[in-house]
Amino acid sequence: MRTLLALTICLELVAANVAPLGKYTAVERRHWAFQPRSNPALPKFESQADKNFVRNPIDAFVLARLKKAELAPSVPASKEVLVRRVYFDLTGLPPTPQQVQAFVNDKKPDAWPRLIQQLLDSPHYGERWGQHWLDVVRFAETDGFEYDTHRTEAYRYRDYVIRAFQNDKPYDRFITEQLAGDEIAPQEQESVIAAGFNRLGPLRKNAGNQEVASSRNEVLTEMTNAVGAALLGVTLGCARCHDHKFDPIRQSDYYRMQAYFASTLENDFPLTDREARTTWEATVKPIDAQIKKMQSEMAKADPVKQEEIGKQIAQLESTKPPPPPTLYSVKTDLAKPSPIHLLARGEYTAKGDSVGMRPMGIMLPEGTPEDKDLQQPRARLAGWVTSKENPLTARVMVNRIWQYHFGQGIVVTPNDFGRMGGRPSHPELLDFLANEFVQSGYSVKHIHKLILSSSTWMQASDTKNVKASTDDPENKLLWKFSRRRLTAEELRDSMLMVSGNLNTKQGGPSVIVPIEKELVAALYNPTQWKVTPDPAEHKRRSIYLLVKRNLHLPMLEVFDAPDALVSCARRESSTHAPQALELLNGTFSNEQAEALAAKLAKSSGGKPEKMVDQAYQLVAGRLPSLKERQVAIEFARTATPHEFALAMLNLSAFIYVN
Amino acid sequence: MSEHIRYTRNRREFLGDAFCGFGALAYGALEAQAATNPLAPKLPHHAAKAKSVIFLFMAGGPSHMETFDPKPLLNQLHGQKRPAEFGDVKYQFVTSEAKLLGTKRSFKKYGKSGIEVSDLLPHTAECVDDLAVIRSCHGDMVVHSAAQYQLMTGRIIPGFPSMGSWTVYGLGTESNSLPAYCVLPDPHGALEAGQPMYLNGFLPAVYQPTTMRPGNKPVLNLSLPQGVQIEDRTKTIKYLKAMNQAAFAGEDNELEARIAAYDLAFKMQMEAPEVFDISKEDESTKEMYGIGKGPTDDYGRRCLLARRLVEKGVRFVCVTSGGGPGNLQWDAHDDIEENHLRMAKQTDQPVAALLKDLKRRGLLDQTLVLWGGEFGRSPESQGNKGRDHHNLGFSMWMAGGGIKGGTVVGATDAIGLKAIEKPYHFRDIHTTVLNQMGLNQHALSYMHLGRKERLTEIEGMVIKEIV
Repeated sequence: MRTLLALTICLELVAANVAPLGKYTAVERRHWAFQPRSNPALPKFESQADKNFVRNPIDAFVLARLKKAELAPSVPASKEVLVRRVYFDLTGLPPTPQQVQAFVNDKKPDAWPRLIQQLLDSPHYGERWGQHWLDVVRFAETDGFEYDTHRTEAYRYRDYVIRAFQNDKPYDRFITEQLAGDEIAPQEQESVIAAGFNRLGPLRKNAGNQEVASSRNEVLTEMTNAVGAALLGVTLGCARCHDHKFDPIRQSDYYRMQAYFASTLENDFPLTDREARTTWEATVKPIDAQIKKMQSEMAKADPVKQEEIGKQIAQLESTKPPPPPTLYSVKTDLAKPSPIHLLARGEYTAKGDSVGMRPMGIMLPEGTPEDKDLQQPRARLAGWVTSKENPLTARVMVNRIWQYHFGQGIVVTPNDFGRMGGRPSHPELLDFLANEFVQSGYSVKHIHKLILSSSTWMQASDTKNVKASTDDPENKLLWKFSRRRLTAEELRDSMLMVSGNLNTKQGGPSVIVPIEKELVAALYNPTQWKVTPDPAEHKRRSIYLLVKRNLHLPMLEVFDAPDALVSCARRESSTHAPQALELLNGTFSNEQAEALAAKLAKSSGGKPEKMVDQAYQLVAGRLPSLKERQVAIEFARTATPHEFALAMLNLSAFIYVN
Repeated sequence: MSEHIRYTRNRREFLGDAFCGFGALAYGALEAQAATNPLAPKLPHHAAKAKSVIFLFMAGGPSHMETFDPKPLLNQLHGQKRPAEFGDVKYQFVTSEAKLLGTKRSFKKYGKSGIEVSDLLPHTAECVDDLAVIRSCHGDMVVHSAAQYQLMTGRIIPGFPSMGSWTVYGLGTESNSLPAYCVLPDPHGALEAGQPMYLNGFLPAVYQPTTMRPGNKPVLNLSLPQGVQIEDRTKTIKYLKAMNQAAFAGEDNELEARIAAYDLAFKMQMEAPEVFDISKEDESTKEMYGIGKGPTDDYGRRCLLARRLVEKGVRFVCVTSGGGPGNLQWDAHDDIEENHLRMAKQTDQPVAALLKDLKRRGLLDQTLVLWGGEFGRSPESQGNKGRDHHNLGFSMWMAGGGIKGGTVVGATDAIGLKAIEKPYHFRDIHTTVLNQMGLNQHALSYMHLGRKERLTEIEGMVIKEIV
């Protein structure tokens, strides 16, 4: 017995030394998310009422689950409510009063599918749904950390994402280009830009003590974790320091996944010839030298002198020509792979066994060997991620799409399909959607159409149902549509739109808007905040504003815009006093109120009744109720036009979607 | 070391067990408030010693050898290379060839406790019987940005919530007309880690700090836009509420919360400016803080403001000394004497005044004051007069809020290189701060990306010698 024990220990030690390919227990392999997708049978219904509700399979799955809980769905929302809901859902902007009228008056049977198609074709669709993806991949245009250096060409990735959604690029292609576009199509600009995905994470650079190995380790970590969180919906990052505590992801799995990035290097792919770059360098070099000198003078000077020198530095900075454009991307250099080891506690100095490339073991047959001698390692990884048999990829994406339509996913933790994440509320529905997604050739728009044409999505949000509110207060079973607050960007864009200020220009370099000088002064390098000179640019949609990791726009930040440091799977929707202060006293909202006031004065001829009706149609997409009208008219009669307009932009009826 | 993910009972269960009837009742009342105000005060996990925290953040890294950690041997070895027996360290700039630099400061014993403090901080020295000096602090990073993130958030990368945000997340605030968590930055400029170090990270935006700037409008959006009269605005608020109620009255918690947020915002707008206005303080108080006198004016004003804020129930205040270029922080690479004399001149008197002022008002017992930077400085010289960053051993202190005054804990080696006796990491500082506030480091967690995140990441220790 003792010998056997010793032998077992011995074997384990040997095994540990070669970083085992990993054995997974039956229980581990049984976890729902790693199972192949099923082909669930559609629930059948007898009663006419049930049959009426079931417009498509989504409704069948939802209704079956509701019935199991002895709950009933809500009545459909009015056309007025639906049109506002779907405009925000697909474009992030409110419908104009004319657009509301056009739909309400459209009595043709195909009015709804036509509206959906029209909005999916609208250029604003890509801007709205591109933003969701940018959240997931923690898109920002600066490095973060001390220098927070600007990545002047990063906007090209943002435009790539918008275009991809707009053109309904097949999702498998979309992922492949982002993971390995430079490998599979190095001559195509589009693919090289997409591969910038691998560089989206924050990047630590600081004065002195450049620990090359440490920084490289951080870069590889960012790349690996993004694949786990954004594409696979698993907390792969947890296994960086040790075997995952809850999910069947070994530390060796983590580093084997990381090994696909071992040869991946930064690549600023020049778009201009060498001469242009040399000229630029020659122009900038003496200016930088001068600035450096002045900075050291500044450190020793008294406060008054400091301010003066600060101004001179800013002046000098502004004389620098912009750097010649480059594609912010990556390349594979097989000659210089970083050696990949298991790292104890994730520390780059604590090297354990060396490992090679292999996808996550739990999704492979036992004992699958490591990949060897790959010419295009990331393309191989992309092939595994997008394989039709991969149980996670399609489920994770349809769950994200579902979440952005309904406010919460079928799995409430879209970046975590593991044991600590939520269990699917409707597992069959999730598989049905994932199958549809794969069979449609990974068409995101196909899933939109399915969801938007379901009775489930079209339910009213203001249903009074005591039993349902008690049994399912969070509406997990979808007995109604959940009312939601506008996101930060939707709110800003909508304020611009209803005030008539919105500049709908698309794409191109990011815009830097003017902000309070105290905020700029709080930057370590205030000269980085170079306001875009053309004021018309300041009124563009929020997705085109510069995302700077060390300075978030207060207007967006206070309404829960993500910090772009880690993947944001789902926006918070908090409610607190600083939001009210921002909307009542902030410069932006008062500018929009001013414009809205002028617009209303002109269209209503100053008649309070008319002004109230028009204002409600603009901001709420409907006429006021009797009670609202009574209060609003009383207010309009005595308020300044500015204050009236400002109040309209603060209405819950504006800020929420029913 | 325990697992960094652990199941904890939620607060309702905890309180139900801990306080039975009464606790449940009190909790019910708090919960009713919390339905419309996420910042309503919450019960702590255990009995709290402190209600508020003031962090006197000495940015850039003050030297321990010039302040609270006398090292006679260092002066004896001045000009020599570090003897091998002290071991090896990694600095930002100085190399293994660097020579040790003795200090020009002299140390003296102060107070009943007889704790030694250098002549750099004569005013703070007078309060030494209220201080618990931790001479064995250490962190993991030797560069500013990463070290500042670790000091503030427990992590060396940005994106995690700061101490202030965690505290407010755990306890809410006792003031309903002031921001719960205030940062008072140095007007000279920003720090290397930038805004993210003070922020709420992945916690909801309601837990974000409010930055207060010098001048008449310390808080953004707290004053009316130009040209708007208060009478007009009062009316706007009234009608806005009526219109919002007309639309959704009584059917939705969130919409009611929104109405409550507007009420609170208006209250803040009306009442907060008075708290920010330090002109009504009596002259002797202002004089005590050094307000109106050259070097101490700015930090004195901010320390006085910190007292006024905690007096009104603000939960966490960070008063930063140092900003902009390194030499305007405690980052004395070029000349330790010039830099530290100047930085101490600006802060020493205000810091001592804050302690005395809190004490005479009976506020020190319920206010935890924490002093320190993101690291200390090197025993070796940089150039021949400066000191480099150094993270393996340095000093911080705490006072008030249930901390045992007049104590010293831990020690560095004979030249101030490494914390060798009872070393305490930033995570232990964090654990102690939470503990004094009645918060348990394990229970104060937030689920993020599949992991229960906490300020102390894995686990810290309460510094038991000082509580």
